[in-house]
Amino acid sequence: MAAEPKLSHTAAMILQAINAGYIYGFSVMEMTGLPSGTVYPAMRRLERDDLIRSHWERQSIADAEQRPARKYYKLTAAGRSTLEVSRKRYPLLERLIPTEEAEQV
Amino acid sequence: MTPWVEPAFCAFHGLLVGGAALLVPAAQRAEWLREWRAELWHVRRSCACAGEMTAFCLGAFKDAWCLREHLRRERVRTVSLHSSAGQCLLGLAAVMAACCTVAYLLPQARPVTDALRSPARAGLILIRQPDDGSGGHAAISFRHYKVLSETRNRYLDGFAFYRIDREKLLNGQVRQGGWKIAYATPNLFSVLGIPVQSMDGNNEAGDGMPAAMVSEALWRSEFGADPEIVGKVLCVGAREARIVGVAPSRAWKLPEPVDAWVLAPEEVMARSRAGNVMAHLTGAGRAQMWAGSVNITVYGRNNSELDLSGISIDGQTVTPWQMFRFAVFLALLALPAITTVSMGEYGPSSHRPPWPRRIVRWLYLVAKFALLLPIAYYASLDLAYWRSFGSSYAADYIQLFSAFAICLGGMRWALLDQRQRCPICLKRVAHPAQVGLASRTFLAWNGTELICTGGHTLLHVPGLPTSWFATEQWLYLDASWEFLFAGTDAG
Repeated sequence: MAAEPKLSHTAAMILQAINAGYIYGFSVMEMTGLPSGTVYPAMRRLERDDLIRSHWERQSIADAEQRPARKYYKLTAAGRSTLEVSRKRYPLLERLIPTEEAEQV
Repeated sequence: MTPWVEPAFCAFHGLLVGGAALLVPAAQRAEWLREWRAELWHVRRSCACAGEMTAFCLGAFKDAWCLREHLRRERVRTVSLHSSAGQCLLGLAAVMAACCTVAYLLPQARPVTDALRSPARAGLILIRQPDDGSGGHAAISFRHYKVLSETRNRYLDGFAFYRIDREKLLNGQVRQGGWKIAYATPNLFSVLGIPVQSMDGNNEAGDGMPAAMVSEALWRSEFGADPEIVGKVLCVGAREARIVGVAPSRAWKLPEPVDAWVLAPEEVMARSRAGNVMAHLTGAGRAQMWAGSVNITVYGRNNSELDLSGISIDGQTVTPWQMFRFAVFLALLALPAITTVSMGEYGPSSHRPPWPRRIVRWLYLVAKFALLLPIAYYASLDLAYWRSFGSSYAADYIQLFSAFAICLGGMRWALLDQRQRCPICLKRVAHPAQVGLASRTFLAWNGTELICTGGHTLLHVPGLPTSWFATEQWLYLDASWEFLFAGTDAG
């Protein structure tokens, strides 16, 4: 039995995007180019496997910007270690979604 | 874009997301909808093309469906957890506790359960004169009772005389009428072996008044279950008696029910008409019993012979426990007619499980039966005594039929459940797959295959039992199957 879960390329890309700072569903869609019917179910599976964690944005921040509050995602410790394993498995992952871009979002 | 098109698309996309939300289980729907509506708001701000927005909204259906399937699988996993052997036994134990509690709480069933705690003394007989041809049994006079009790007899070691009259009781200021009163010799309860709730050491209350015992039913209905009843004076007919205790319900096993007993001295009883004689058989006397009766010949002082017959009191009433044993016997007889009693064979190429596993499997079956029997007993008591029926026969028949039905159904379930449990881990096999074609039964095999979720065994159930494949067969899965069960407790 494998100790680390083996992620598909799509799931690894989503994990990498979240790690890079694309922390809500639509931004992950935009970054990865994946359709909504792929991204959201994949994010729910990652959350179920405790690789990512979600939280709601504070309503006051959303109200100040006159928009609905967003649900944000971030990697857990298990998610980070899984991503490390996935990067070795998919070496192009970091080139597709560079982590440096996180600072710009 | 014309001004009315944008609101129309907004409404359309809102409808799409709202429609997709219907697929999401109700508990998660609000949060799911909140997230998708927030995302949709941002998509509207970013996408100029309505087609892209529609594509985005259609993705909501896939997300909703995935979430629904995930929760369904979680539920299935929970159900399979509940189908583990331990959970099954715990469930049965809980049902047993519930049935038992109800039986002890039902007022109509309480006399039965009380009688179980204080069973009647064994070897009691009711002595009567032989049938005089009139269809009934003549009563015995007090004189004959004295002859009986004073004659040395190795078969009988205790006698009591009683006579039942219908009398009025004066309780306080109210005259109650029509109660069945048994006038008896003082040793009646000691011969019967009835434990009395509160009993004065003396038969007489010390003031010359005869002692009286009231039944539990009378104590509850007429005295309001008064805990201070002992010592009170009760007017029975024309005489007074002092209450010395309360007799437990159903303790009186004799044919005619009685509401109160007046324990009068023998000189008072000697003036009474003929009555009944109870006796207790010694071990030698019980050996002489035949079909619940025994013949007794008493020789008087003047060498006169008196032929009497003794009828077993135990044999006159069928207890709920006897009724239940009979129902279990009937259910055991009927069981092979409704299900096969085989536990499944082991495939010819497959090894048998180690003997500790086999013992555990059999212990599990025994445990299920051991829990089912009390469930059937107490549930049948609950059904028979949930309300008072006019005749005790009605309750007896209801108990017999319900105990039979519960035993038969329960045993059938226990066997079916056992046959569908993996002999290694005792989990229920799952994922049934139809194999083969029914039309090829005589050339090949057709039926259903079920697999142990722990990866231990495969169960073949024939669709049509044949001479070469009559019953279910277990096939053990070797290590080459383990990769299919990653994450389970295979091995």
